[in-house]
Amino acid sequence: MTEIRYIKAVNQALWDAMEADPSVFLIGEDIGAAGGSFKATRDLLDRFGPERVYDTPISEAAIAGMAVGAALTGMRPVAEIMFMDFTTLTMDMLVNQAAKARSMFGGQGSVPMVLRTPHGGGLNAGPQHSQCLEAWFAHVPGLKVVCPANPADAYGLLRAAIDDPDPVIVVENKALYAMKGDLPDAPEARERIEIGKGRIVRPGHDATVVAYGAAVTMAEAAAANLAGEGIDVEVIDLRSLQPWDEGLVLESLSRTHNLVVAHEAVEAFGIGAEIAARMADIGFDELDGPITRVGAPFAPSPFGKTLEDAYRPNAERIEAALRRTLA
Amino acid sequence: MTEGLLSEWHVAPGAKFRAGDMLFTVETEKVANEVEAEGDGEIAEILVAAGETVPVGAPVARLAGDAGAAKVEAHAAPSSSSAVPPPTSAAPAPSAPAPADGPAARKLMAEHGLERSEVPATGRDGRVMKEDVLRVIATPLARRIADAEGVDLRSVAGSGQNGRIKARDVEAATPTTPAAAAAAPAAQPAGVQEIAPDAMRLATARRVTAAKRDIPHFYLTHEAEITALSDLRESLNAEDGRPRVSVTHMLIRALGLALEEMPGFNRIWAGERILAFDRADIGMVADTLDGLRIPVIRDAGAASLDQVARAARDLAARARDGQLTPEDVGDSVISVSNVGMFGASSLTPIINPPGAMILGVGAERALFRPGPDRAPALRRELTLTLACDHRVIDGAAAARFLSAVVEILETPLRLLRPARRPN
Repeated sequence: MTEIRYIKAVNQALWDAMEADPSVFLIGEDIGAAGGSFKATRDLLDRFGPERVYDTPISEAAIAGMAVGAALTGMRPVAEIMFMDFTTLTMDMLVNQAAKARSMFGGQGSVPMVLRTPHGGGLNAGPQHSQCLEAWFAHVPGLKVVCPANPADAYGLLRAAIDDPDPVIVVENKALYAMKGDLPDAPEARERIEIGKGRIVRPGHDATVVAYGAAVTMAEAAAANLAGEGIDVEVIDLRSLQPWDEGLVLESLSRTHNLVVAHEAVEAFGIGAEIAARMADIGFDELDGPITRVGAPFAPSPFGKTLEDAYRPNAERIEAALRRTLA
Repeated sequence: MTEGLLSEWHVAPGAKFRAGDMLFTVETEKVANEVEAEGDGEIAEILVAAGETVPVGAPVARLAGDAGAAKVEAHAAPSSSSAVPPPTSAAPAPSAPAPADGPAARKLMAEHGLERSEVPATGRDGRVMKEDVLRVIATPLARRIADAEGVDLRSVAGSGQNGRIKARDVEAATPTTPAAAAAAPAAQPAGVQEIAPDAMRLATARRVTAAKRDIPHFYLTHEAEITALSDLRESLNAEDGRPRVSVTHMLIRALGLALEEMPGFNRIWAGERILAFDRADIGMVADTLDGLRIPVIRDAGAASLDQVARAARDLAARARDGQLTPEDVGDSVISVSNVGMFGASSLTPIINPPGAMILGVGAERALFRPGPDRAPALRRELTLTLACDHRVIDGAAAARFLSAVVEILETPLRLLRPARRPN
């Protein structure tokens, strides 16, 4: 085992995937000689050459369009969009082409592409470089969305996404890029993580917090805090947002009877709304308290540190939501 | 917004109005709202005068004509999104002395086989409203457990926010733990039979269990010397053409007088609130083939002894025949349970919710007591045991009340006179 950072796990997954499959190639802005804005593609140009690490002009629509086209011809492109905020420019290619191709060609075609992009705040990057827009993609039939919460998952989910025959949006949290974790030294020991399966991070029997991305660590901190009071909180890392592990959440709710959903994205119309609505339906008789959500307020992300600290969800807010649902 | 000042009426009682007409103005700290009629109608009675402050939702006027459901909510017309004015509503007319429950409430109670006494009344003048029948706030899990365990959620106190009943509350109220209930029923030893209780037995069992669990009872016992009372009863009953008066009737009348004269005792605890009643309605525990029934003699403080006797005989007969109507039961602060005819010397009873007191009455006994000249004097006595809900009544106060009842019984001519003015 070697301790590596989240961003290095992404880099390693790309490296291993490119070693394993010559149809995998990278496309994006400044990903070549510059190694990517967050250094996710460092050294890959030197190892695999400009044919497979392809720098583009500043045109996200072109990146997405080329990726969709290449994928339709059987390639496995991995596109990097520097900030999730800029994925707005890729929407037509992803929503109207990538997501639809399999259905419109009667299952005879598929789009085995990956779009990697970082979301989230904490870097004082302001309203146009901090957004969490994963719910937009999760709303589109035909797209898959994953959001790893630690280095091992960053590796495992990206490898699974690259292997997947359908378009997968891999949402990385930029505040987690420096997070450390273990990855096996031997390439064959590095595991893929099945898309659509969540993970119980911490078992508990009083309440369940369903979280993903940076909110997982916050939920763990909230659970640790409440454990001191004898409140035993279960934390689920969703890992995959579309499809999401409905069975795991329902099973957990059936044991704890209380549910909080936490994410960094704006609360209104978010992933949490979907989970809450679904559990209020299929898990209705298990509920012993209101399902509460934790997310960012319905406002653009502010620049200033003080304001952004107040804007971003944190462990205290998850703790407060837990107390409310348990009251 | 929780209350508003009704600053001005734009229509007078008896005046007709059309949809869109201004009815009244409500002021809050922030805004004044003109409330307009949503439909045509006529004001029969204004319940809240201009200048009064009323809580949101309180009826402010009664409409003329049939109180059809459409008219009931006819003009709740919020004219501003920031403040909701109190809706007017055609509350049932307070014409009869008996509180007229909401029509929807009566229908629901009938549909669900609920007795009026089982439902807390939150409406004006102690009316049972639709919400009172429907309103049980419980989580889905709590409801599921209650359903499985046969727990009546009405008897469960909620510990969650806003009094919400949570799973833990139902589990605490479940007679047996779920684990024990789930266990296979143990085979009974020889000579022991297991009998499934019928619905009436089960209902009584749950009701008294809830009463004993939820009401902090305390008890006071007092002997009443009833020689004069018995003599009065005999002479009254010697006259033909009058209803026969029993000791129970005299006790009911005495309790009615006592409540009339001490109105501070005509109160019940209703979940963090106290409801005070104007009228002295006295419950009478009746043993029937179908189980216990508690019909109520209305206004026993104002009714004559003959009227009490007549009403009590009628109610007892109808209780025996299963002919009681919802109006015959419920809403009594105190009940009388007399086991004297069976020879028991005293009875320590359980309060019938939502009442606050119940009087247990034992058999009349003849015994010698030291008289004024220290010589034994033959006396006839009753043992009265008053059970009280400590949430509304304290010990010393209860003792005063019971003494007052005994004083009336020992000065029985008072039963024939109207109540003294409360001082």
